[in-house]
Order: sequence, then C-alpha cells, then structure tokens
Amino acid sequence: MGRARRAAIVGIGETPYARRSPQPLAALCLAAARAALADAGLLPRAVDGIIAPGAGYEELHELARTLGVTGQFFSAASFSGATAVVAAPLLAALAIEAGLASVVLCVRGLAWGSERRGNVGETHAEMANKASFEIPFGWYPQIVHFAGMARRHMALYGTTEAQLGTVAVTMRRHAALAQNAVLGDRPLTLADYLASPYLAEPYRAADCCVVTDGAGAFVVTSAERARDCRQVPVAVLGVGTGVSEDGPYSSLRADYLVTPAVHAGPRAFAMAGLAPADVDFVALYDNFTAQVLIQLEDLGFCARGEGGPFVESGAIALGGALPVNPSGGQLAQAFVLMMNGVCESVRQLRGAAGRGQVEGAEVGLVGGYSGAEYAVLLLGRGLG
Amino acid sequence: MAAVRAPVDRHLPDVDWPAARGFWEGCRAGELRLPRCADCGRWVWYPAPACPGCGGERHPWRRVSGRGRIFTWVRVHRAFLPGHAARVPYVTALIELEEDPRLRLAAFLRDVPPDGPRIGLAVEVVFERIDERITLPAFRCVTGR
Repeated sequence: MGRARRAAIVGIGETPYARRSPQPLAALCLAAARAALADAGLLPRAVDGIIAPGAGYEELHELARTLGVTGQFFSAASFSGATAVVAAPLLAALAIEAGLASVVLCVRGLAWGSERRGNVGETHAEMANKASFEIPFGWYPQIVHFAGMARRHMALYGTTEAQLGTVAVTMRRHAALAQNAVLGDRPLTLADYLASPYLAEPYRAADCCVVTDGAGAFVVTSAERARDCRQVPVAVLGVGTGVSEDGPYSSLRADYLVTPAVHAGPRAFAMAGLAPADVDFVALYDNFTAQVLIQLEDLGFCARGEGGPFVESGAIALGGALPVNPSGGQLAQAFVLMMNGVCESVRQLRGAAGRGQVEGAEVGLVGGYSGAEYAVLLLGRGLG
Repeated sequence: MAAVRAPVDRHLPDVDWPAARGFWEGCRAGELRLPRCADCGRWVWYPAPACPGCGGERHPWRRVSGRGRIFTWVRVHRAFLPGHAARVPYVTALIELEEDPRLRLAAFLRDVPPDGPRIGLAVEVVFERIDERITLPAFRCVTGR
C-alpha cells in the first residue's frame, strides 16, 4: 500500500437503490457481488477472500457457496457500520500482501427501507446505557443525537440553517446527475428547504439521509493482477482508522463537535504521502447535513468552525473546489453505509461518472463514520 | 443488561438494571446521584464496570447539586416513540452539571424562556414521578444565575 500502490480496486457493482426492494437482502448482496466480479472481468471462482461487514456465518457462507468460492479462503471482520465498509480495502490489502488471498470481494447491503420502517434507532435502543439515560428523556433516535451537534455548531460558530440547507440542496443536485439515486427526481431549492417543517429542530426531513434497500460490492486485488483486469485500476493509496475516547456515547464526547476522523485522516494521508490539498473530491458520511461540515473540518479541508462558510461558497458542489458526494451521498442517493461512496469514488477515478464526473479526478477520499469509529480511505487513479 | 423491550414501552427506563439502580433510587428519593470512583474521585459516567481513569471498581452513588447549564438542545416535533407522543413538541437537552464538565445528562427541559432555550442557560433538577417505581429527573430553566 501507500505510494507503492500495491493493491487496487478492480471491480464495482451496485444494485438499483430503492425505498423498498422486492428482493431480500441476501439476493441484493449476491447481485452486487456478481456485478462487481463481472465489472472486474473475474470469474467468481477466482475469489479467495470475502469481507462482508454485517453478514453473519449463514449470510457469508450462503454467499460464498452460491458464488462457487472454494478451497483456500480468507475472511475477516473489523469495525462497524460504514467504518467497516471504508476500512475493508485495508483488510483486503493486508491479506493480499501477506499472501493469504489474491482476490478479495467486499460486499455490504442494507435493507432498512424494508426492515426498519420508522425504527432506525434499533441499534441505539439495544444499548443499556442509552436505554437508561437517553431514551427516557427523548434523546433518541439518531436525528436527535445529531441535531444536538448541529445546534451547538450553530451556537459556537455561527453556522446557519441556510448553510445546512446548502448541503441538502447540493446533494439533490448531484443525485439528479447520477444514474442510481432514490432522490434523483426530487429537486430541492433552498427556499423549499427553509419552508419545510422541523422534525427535530434544527433538523428537517431534508437534513436526514434517505432510508433505502440496496447493496454494493467491490473487488480488491494486487497491483500486479490489477494490470490484467479490464478496468482502469483504482489504487488503495492509504487507509486510516480512529476511535473516540467516549466510545459509543456521542452525548458524552469531550470534543463534542469532532469525529474520530481527526485520528483517521492524518494516518491515511501519511500512508499515502498526500495532503488534503491533493484530494480532488470526497465521499463523506452524510447521515445528516451538519455532520458533513464537521467532517470537512476534521479532515483538514477547512478550519474548525468554518464548515458553514465553506459549503456556502459552493466548494462542495460539482465544479467547486472540493465536490462532496458526487452521486448524491446518503442524503440523496442511498443509505448503504458508504458502499455507494466507495463505488462512486471508483467510477470517478476511472473517469466513468458520466454527467457527475469531476474533471481530471486523480485522488478521492472516502470517510466512513460509525459513532465511535471513523475510517478514511484514499483512492487514486491508476497504478502510478 | 437491560432487557430489550418493545418500542411501545421503551420510553421508560428499566429501573432494575443493576448498573443503574442507584440512579433511580436517588430519583425516587428526590436526589440526583451519580457514580463516583472511590479510588480516584472521578465521576464514572455512564456507569461502567471499571473507572476509565484509574481502573477502580468501587463507584458509590454520590449526590450532586442538580445545578448545571444547557450544553445543547433539540426541539422535537415528532414522537419517535409512542410513549413520547403526549410530550410533543418537547425540548430535550444535554445538561452539563456544575460538578464536572464530563457530567452530561440528557433531560426534558421545563420552564423554557419565551425566546427559547439557549446554550449556557442555567438549569436545575426537578423530579417527575411516573409511577411508584419510576421517577425521572428533568431540568427547569433558571433565569438570573
């Protein structure tokens, strides 16, 4: 890894994203996996490693046997949520460098659209301290947790509702240019945004990620093997991961308006030998609008507290200084724990993103946030 | 481990969860009590088996003043749990207690000033009896402190 560009993503696949899919989650994951392998020009039997965050024993091995994977096999699980997806190339690259695998399939689906209608807070409700000290006091679900951060960001730094709205509006514009975004046909103006009712003030519906069904997958292999694949290889330049000292309790976080991206970012940049100024676009964990501002600050793309003016300047739009989530992100494309962010970043670096293409994209950054954890993935066009 | 309960009754705490029992006993007695490490004096919040500061395992429940300030707040316009429907719209907040900035409590806000809550506003604890087993703390806004 690093400047040597020893591992690369050579295939990507995604199902159509939908509010609700008629297919069960396992079928969505299988479809995404097959699509990624076909994109890479590899036969399923070439796979000798699978990283499937969120999958249990049954799901993993139903997938493996259906694909026809056999013989030597590597599998690993690490981190949670989107952090697991964004850190998967690190695990895959380590396994490949260690000779434990040669072609690693990473797959993640999520069917919260079908499974969790109106109940997206399940994971939090199952945590005993939150069940005791947060939920009985209305500090639940995620929209409230993150609205608390938005409110404090506004009070400390002067961030405005219009700046939050700019994030939502920009993601809708990006979604309209993408092929596979659930809100691609639902344009939003800043006036629409400001006129819409609050759900958990300062957040409105448009501040929240969509809840969808879908799956994505990507294939990692060695640089040597990547040269023979059919697509422009996208090198894994660096991966960094970090944790918050206050664990899963954002309400107690000493640095309340900081994510563990502050730990993950420098490590990823150091591994890649790059700096924020080298990045052409980013895919950030846009679960809610203010969290985009906070991650931009954490990763060094603007100063602490300057996220609001940064987005208001137009920087995060396609054509701006640092396009964010060019396919609409989780606010407007799909909520699939950044699998859409990884796949879109690969498309961008291949130069195959169509109407949403970032001109001359050479380096992209993907951020995966799961509360206590954060992973930063730096990807680069070609093998250098 | 608190039992995982159906969403319909999840808005109330499991006061029998051993790790938090001292908190609910305090509320029933009209006192806000929090666990404090007997070895190093650090507040161990939320409750944990060992003190994150020194590893000490004895954390007796100590009364705190119940005074603090609003750290952040959210006005909620939709009941995300059926049990909160009667409160909507409600203001929930994180309260920073005066004993230690590490001590934050989520709470419903009472006596919100006409111009709305604001970060830094002084608050003090009050108690809301739900039934014979459950009393919840809440915080009322105090002007002039």
